[in-house]
Amino acid sequence: MFPADFRYLRAESLPHALDLLADGEDVKVLAGGQSLLPMMKLRLAVPEAVVDIGGITELAGVSPDGDRVRIGALTTYRALQRDELIAARFPAMTDALAVLADQQVRARGTVGGCVAHGDPAADLPAVLLALDASVTVAARGATRTVALGDFLRGIYATDLATGEIVTEISVGAAPPPGQAYEKFEQSASHLPLAGVCAALSVSDGVITSARVAVTGVAGRVFRSFDTERALAGAPAEPASLEASAALAADGAEPLSDQHATGPFRQHLARVLARRALARALTRATGEVPPR
Amino acid sequence: MPSATDVSVELTVNGRSCRREVPARTLLVHFLREQLGLTGTHVGCDTTQCGACTVAMDGVAVKSCTVLAAQAGGHEITTIEGIGDEGKLHPVQHAFWAEHGLQCGYCTPGMVMAVRQIIADNPDPTDADVRRGLAGNICRCTGYQNIVAAALAAAAAMRES
Ligand code: FES
Ligand code: FES
Repeated sequence: MFPADFRYLRAESLPHALDLLADGEDVKVLAGGQSLLPMMKLRLAVPEAVVDIGGITELAGVSPDGDRVRIGALTTYRALQRDELIAARFPAMTDALAVLADQQVRARGTVGGCVAHGDPAADLPAVLLALDASVTVAARGATRTVALGDFLRGIYATDLATGEIVTEISVGAAPPPGQAYEKFEQSASHLPLAGVCAALSVSDGVITSARVAVTGVAGRVFRSFDTERALAGAPAEPASLEASAALAADGAEPLSDQHATGPFRQHLARVLARRALARALTRATGEVPPR
Repeated sequence: MPSATDVSVELTVNGRSCRREVPARTLLVHFLREQLGLTGTHVGCDTTQCGACTVAMDGVAVKSCTVLAAQAGGHEITTIEGIGDEGKLHPVQHAFWAEHGLQCGYCTPGMVMAVRQIIADNPDPTDADVRRGLAGNICRCTGYQNIVAAALAAAAAMRES
């Protein structure tokens, strides 16, 4: 299959892209194309025009900036996997990148595209949410920054308005070292039926703070506040993890489809939360857990 | 007559530059097969899952069914036709032959291009590395055993040479 006809517009710069986007009614932004092109091939997306931003090189790359690390929207998964700063400070991202899609898709798929697409079963948003990411969005004459938790609205639904482009994702430059991502994948698509990212801060044998994000289970990636509350102040030992992981999917309205029922997805979330927390704790304390 | 949805695409394929006017919706795989006659790159699915269409774009393996020809403009593409020839197979091609890493052969061009990438990124992969690396390639015939064996043999041969 191939897409329906469209006008192809290549943007030379961000302002040019924003102008092109403002000109048309039914215009889609094309970055790496690893989500948009499959949808266009299946005619699930039939845009009148496509603005290719792939050549805007200044939108790619990872750079530290004070207390944040900026990830350009056009940074590919492959580039992230090979970035030294990411490898050194964001082990949960490394976990997710290793199991995300496949090597060919990682070579083209971009972080900004992933976030803008709003797929409720994507790997990286869980990690980004656990790491308190924010999303920078440009429109003609304005930019704004939104917390990722507010940006992701629902199934393929985001806060992105007509005429806007995601330009950057940023995360805190000093995340807790105790972080990990675990998933259970649908074996044909490699998308998570459930995926959990945990980020723990530990001090003197006590969990001082926790962020836990779940993907693939509900209509949007969400933080499991029950799990986080149960962890805060708890002793940094396996029993605390066990009890709090059991709450990971509480309150979620689970998705049910041909691949998995809602209750199965919730079950997976609990199991994966336990595994992610255990690995996060190991990384936080530098101790190797008993097998 | 060029229409509003046509684009001019100029790119380098297997070291030769070429230029064609095509509808914007033309996928790179169709450009290679239909405009350039390079039919070694296959189409096995509609959903970016099978990897039969794998080529290298600026030296990195991608799925040519999920790249517009227009996006490939200005870039360098290497297809299965560009990595070896009958008298002198690429070491990965040789290993697929020696290890019997194929049956019908439909997936093979994509497998070879994907294995090249796995070895380029990690010259000494384990069995598990190869299997994970081939997550984006589907074979309906072999059961993968000999494909993995071929990848490991190719990696060993390439480390020695
Ligand atoms: S034809 Fe490209 S992945 Fe199947
Ligand atoms: S050899 Fe037939 S599909 Fe792989």
